Amino acid sequence: MSIGRDEVLHVARLAELAVDEADLDRLVEQLNRIVDYVAQLESAPADAGAERLLPGPPAARLREDVPGPVPLARPPAAFAPEFAEGFFLVPRHGAMEGP
Amino acid sequence: MSAVQVARATADRLTAADAAGLNATLHWSRALLETEAARIDSMPVPGPLAAVPIAVKDNIVTLDMPTTCASRMLEGYVSPYEASVVRRLREAGALVAAKTNLDEFAMGSSTEHSAFGRVRHPLDADRVPGGSSGGSAALVAAGVVPAALGSETGGSVRQPASFCGIVGVKPSYGRVSRYGLVAFGSSLDCVSVFGRTVDDASRVLAVISGHDPLDNTSLDHPPIAPPAPRPGLGGLRIGLPREYYPADLDAGVAAALARTQAVARALGAELVEVSLPHTCYAVPTYYVVAPAEAAANLARYDGVRYGQRRVGPEGDIEALYQATRGHGFGPEVKRRILIGTYVLSAGYYDAYYARAQRVRALVADDFRRAFEGGVDLLLTPTTPTPAFRAGEKTGDPVSMYLADVFVCAVSLAGLPAVSIPAGRSDGLPVGAQLIAPLLSDERLLAAAGALERALSADAEVR
Repeated sequence: MSIGRDEVLHVARLAELAVDEADLDRLVEQLNRIVDYVAQLESAPADAGAERLLPGPPAARLREDVPGPVPLARPPAAFAPEFAEGFFLVPRHGAMEGP
Repeated sequence: MSAVQVARATADRLTAADAAGLNATLHWSRALLETEAARIDSMPVPGPLAAVPIAVKDNIVTLDMPTTCASRMLEGYVSPYEASVVRRLREAGALVAAKTNLDEFAMGSSTEHSAFGRVRHPLDADRVPGGSSGGSAALVAAGVVPAALGSETGGSVRQPASFCGIVGVKPSYGRVSRYGLVAFGSSLDCVSVFGRTVDDASRVLAVISGHDPLDNTSLDHPPIAPPAPRPGLGGLRIGLPREYYPADLDAGVAAALARTQAVARALGAELVEVSLPHTCYAVPTYYVVAPAEAAANLARYDGVRYGQRRVGPEGDIEALYQATRGHGFGPEVKRRILIGTYVLSAGYYDAYYARAQRVRALVADDFRRAFEGGVDLLLTPTTPTPAFRAGEKTGDPVSMYLADVFVCAVSLAGLPAVSIPAGRSDGLPVGAQLIAPLLSDERLLAAAGALERALSADAEVR
């Protein structure tokens, strides 16, 4: 399967990644080389019903969604430009300002 | 010798390494070293690593030095918390000496993909030290520090250990906390250790391993105890996976492994041939799973949550994200994010990512069958060739990925493994890799220590 310029640009938009026009042809070539290489997985004897590997302890997969203390060495207020009532204060972003 | 004296001597060696152009460090200072040393000298009880200088890869967060992951994206970033492994090192009295250079966000096999310049091989400046933990490997190999922390996602400690002629240990997944290791491929990432000897690396592992409630993939298992020296390898069956000894293996690597096998036999081990039939799928599986996880993990570097912000031409939030990420990431990180996004996208998820996860289970099952078949350890080359020349593989990503052909299956399976120096070919180090069953880290280190003591690491093998 080959990836064309339009598909690379589409994936780049999904990834929120600006791609320079000057780099595009080389990137298309390299991504195709990688996709062609990993396509050999098609020949592996792993049908749709086969098990998947999940490393780590079973407890890591589903744990209770209970918030705990965050062990920061300095409180959030110490590294925020402005902080009040539990919130970071940031400048309004131009595109989000109302009329 | 006091910690302050050690700190001064370490600073002198770091200065000399920087002056020699090794480019292995990203942050260190004489003042910080002396402050740390004073703290260590004032400890009421000396810890197990009292005044031992240890370098730390710059994708492991520290409070007193920046953590950049060798990326322009994080230039100048200082973490508000410290990694559990660093906290444990400090509590054990270690002198955290420097943050080391790496491939950007640990993505690479040569430490040429650093935004702050490539690391030189300590024995030949025209060659690479391996990667992605090349800065840590180079500092240990150059004798600047006796041990260093690196990280593995697909072999990033064992491969540079092999290239640089030192010891590199990857523990079982979950035995060392990932809390504070900047995430790349979360189901693969593993803080790992370089040492001049197996004993040095084992002492560091003993301190940094053990359960950590701050990492939910941390195993509820005791720390990895430094192994008692064993006189030989009597009673051990060591498997030689035929897929790791191809006919076209580099002649120097083949000779070093033949010599290692002979030494293992002389020490009393029984060597048997085994097969790991899905080995050929390990690298392609890795290059689907790891980029997919990387694409998700690196989404946070958008100029809002993390990263040096750049405003795009349209001035809206989408343009800000795209400009920040387009400018902040280097070429290899961009390639991996694009591949990861592609294999996770609608229409391709089942064909690539879901399939790779099933093939990963086959790769892991090969190891399980070999060990259940009566083999205690596996012995393989760590890399297909000695250190290659800088620039040799940067134009072809797949060629670079294949430098990890003998190390990434172990990472996919989460197993412990070690690379030890096995001799030199035309002056360049060659590594031998031992692989053990999951959680058999102590058996692995004991056998590696016995083999290391009997091998002449500096001997030419052909």
